[in-house]
Amino acid sequence: MNVLKVSRWTIAAFILPCLIVYVGLVFVPILVSLYSGLLDWNGIGKSTFIGIDNYVKIFTNDSVFWPALRRTFTLAGFSMLVQVPIALLVAILITRFVRRPNFLVSSYFLPVILSVAIIGQLWKTIYNPASMGGMINQILTSVGLESWTHSWLTEPKIAIYAIILVSLWQYLGYHILIQFTGIQNIPGEIYEAAKIDGADGFKADRYITLPMVLPILKISIVLSFIGSLQSFDLIMVMTGGGPAHATEVLASHMYNMSFITMEYGYGSSIANVLIVVCLIATVLINLLFTRLEKRYT
Amino acid sequence: MTKRKMKWFGMTMTGLLALSLSACGGGGTTATNNASGDAGGTKTEPTKTEASEPAAKDITITFQNIYPDASDPKNQMMKKIVDQYQSENPNVTIELDSLNTDQQKLKLKTQAASKEVPDITVVNPAAQMQPFVDADLFAPLNDMVEENGLKDTFQSGILDYYTFDNNLYALPDGNNIGVVYYNKKLMAEGGVEVPKTFEEMIEAIKTLKSKGIQPMVIGEKDSWTGSFLFMNILLRTNGGPGFLQDVLDGKKTFEDPAYVEAISAFQQLVDAGAFQDGATSFDYNAGENLFKTGTAAMYYMGSWATGGIETAEVSKDGNVGVFQFPTVGGKGNPDEFMLAPGSAFAISKDSENLDETKKFLNYFMQNFPKEAFEAKGAVGIAQNVEGDFKAAGYSDMAMNVLDLFKKVKGGDLAFDNTINPATTQVHLSGTQSLFVEKKDPAAVAKELQAAYEENK
Repeated sequence: MNVLKVSRWTIAAFILPCLIVYVGLVFVPILVSLYSGLLDWNGIGKSTFIGIDNYVKIFTNDSVFWPALRRTFTLAGFSMLVQVPIALLVAILITRFVRRPNFLVSSYFLPVILSVAIIGQLWKTIYNPASMGGMINQILTSVGLESWTHSWLTEPKIAIYAIILVSLWQYLGYHILIQFTGIQNIPGEIYEAAKIDGADGFKADRYITLPMVLPILKISIVLSFIGSLQSFDLIMVMTGGGPAHATEVLASHMYNMSFITMEYGYGSSIANVLIVVCLIATVLINLLFTRLEKRYT
Repeated sequence: MTKRKMKWFGMTMTGLLALSLSACGGGGTTATNNASGDAGGTKTEPTKTEASEPAAKDITITFQNIYPDASDPKNQMMKKIVDQYQSENPNVTIELDSLNTDQQKLKLKTQAASKEVPDITVVNPAAQMQPFVDADLFAPLNDMVEENGLKDTFQSGILDYYTFDNNLYALPDGNNIGVVYYNKKLMAEGGVEVPKTFEEMIEAIKTLKSKGIQPMVIGEKDSWTGSFLFMNILLRTNGGPGFLQDVLDGKKTFEDPAYVEAISAFQQLVDAGAFQDGATSFDYNAGENLFKTGTAAMYYMGSWATGGIETAEVSKDGNVGVFQFPTVGGKGNPDEFMLAPGSAFAISKDSENLDETKKFLNYFMQNFPKEAFEAKGAVGIAQNVEGDFKAAGYSDMAMNVLDLFKKVKGGDLAFDNTINPATTQVHLSGTQSLFVEKKDPAAVAKELQAAYEENK
């Protein structure tokens, strides 16, 4: 096997710089956060070791945590089950019907490169009440649907969905780009062969594109899931978790606890829960896709 | 890297200077008054220097502040004083770290966690600075404030909010009160008078609303804004100041009738349609802008907003007036105000140049009132100002606010300045929820009491 005869030490030496940076920036902070999750600490002064009390409080006595977790999963669900499929559909349509797709794909990608702060401010204005020049409400009013108007970002029941919509809109182009690239990598000969066998159009998509794009789809799903769990900036810009915690997700709850309420230890333990949720979900998604891939190959 | 080069350059120059001095043969013997001396800097020209002592050390003082906006008079004022100080003390470099309020709060917390507090930083009074004091991060300023009579420039009693165990830890830049600004033109259009009682206020709001005029505005995304107004109502329903202190002392709970009544009163405001649609998505600046652009009749805020409103479009032709928050249910005294001792400058205990930093801050605060007065920013500062405001061209509204200051007969501090952060957050989100949901006042109060007991 040792075609190149590179010693293990050489390999190690080449990996080392990256490894050190990675460990330093990822693992060390996680370990530190694991430890501070066990403390009663305001982030500044003296800390007391309180064992798992923080976790007990999270799961039994935190009226914000569970709704925040539920909202986080709602966001992830929408992202994985709505955004990614739409992105896949668009990617397929673009590949099939558009001769010079680059312009379209770049346009879809545009919101991704905009700063979230800008996106948030933009949509805040769109969502504003009609009296403040909110676009949606003005349109609704002008077509006679006044009863449909809402104060989108401040009604507790609607606000989170209003935010989810923005987040789906912003990252749609990202997933389109990923999947579009994935589809382009499928060799054309396969489609040609399938055509001869009578599989064309959506049939070809069903039996060729889908199975062959699965690994890419997996990346998309994992990215969208982790992205949803980490969603924070958009919520901070648009509502700050309010009104009265109605749009709080795990990440914003963690931030508020650590830095606003000054319970740094408690915030760390929420962060740790978030890490664990992330890990479990990633493993589950991986398992699911390994199965799917086996079935189709 | 340039910093290091500068250092080398400085040292070389210092060396040359020393050589040239010894060549001159100790010509000058007049000692400079400057304790630190002023030789050594690259700015000093060798021929003019008469210092006989060895070159003074170049030092850098980091000055964290919350005046980042270059168009703000406070920013210009700060730069002016800093430049003056640097030209008088060439060996001292003041490095400004200007951040907006929220960023500064966050940065300081991070710095405090790693014990890297800048030489001078900004903290908020009372309960908000308590954790920092407990962590022993700040140097006591007891001696420093006595020097050059600095202490006497401050209004009496204001320094108490920054004093813990008889140690003064910070010097405030402001001292404000909660007032209601009103748009005279809109009030006249709506045909309403300045309300004398809360009940009149509710009626005025309904009248304005029915005539299509936005009665009040607020930036409730930053939930302290609603809390500040709420606390003023509580100050009335409680029949006087000290409610939160009574809670802290265990004499009252948040389920006390005064607190519940204040919640109901606040709900009346919301129900009457006082605030703009979607108030909870407007941040402080956005809310205030609605008033500044003349879209709303009334605006409750701390008097620190005076400067901004004064220079805004809405204030043309003396269009904006101020009034005291009225009595609620016949209770309370309008001469009692929400008191807002401002953010304050503290000095890091571990500062490498503690003495120099103290000396600079002393100088800074000495010059603060004079410069603020000139920059038309002297309404609501924590120090006594000499000078005729009227003659200096301050507006009628500013004069009104200054008159209100003279009426102050005590009052309360904001919630977050009195109660610990964890309970404060429950209070803030509870108040915020009143804007969007119909809630039972007793239930809101109960929830807060539970949170308070847990975080005591």
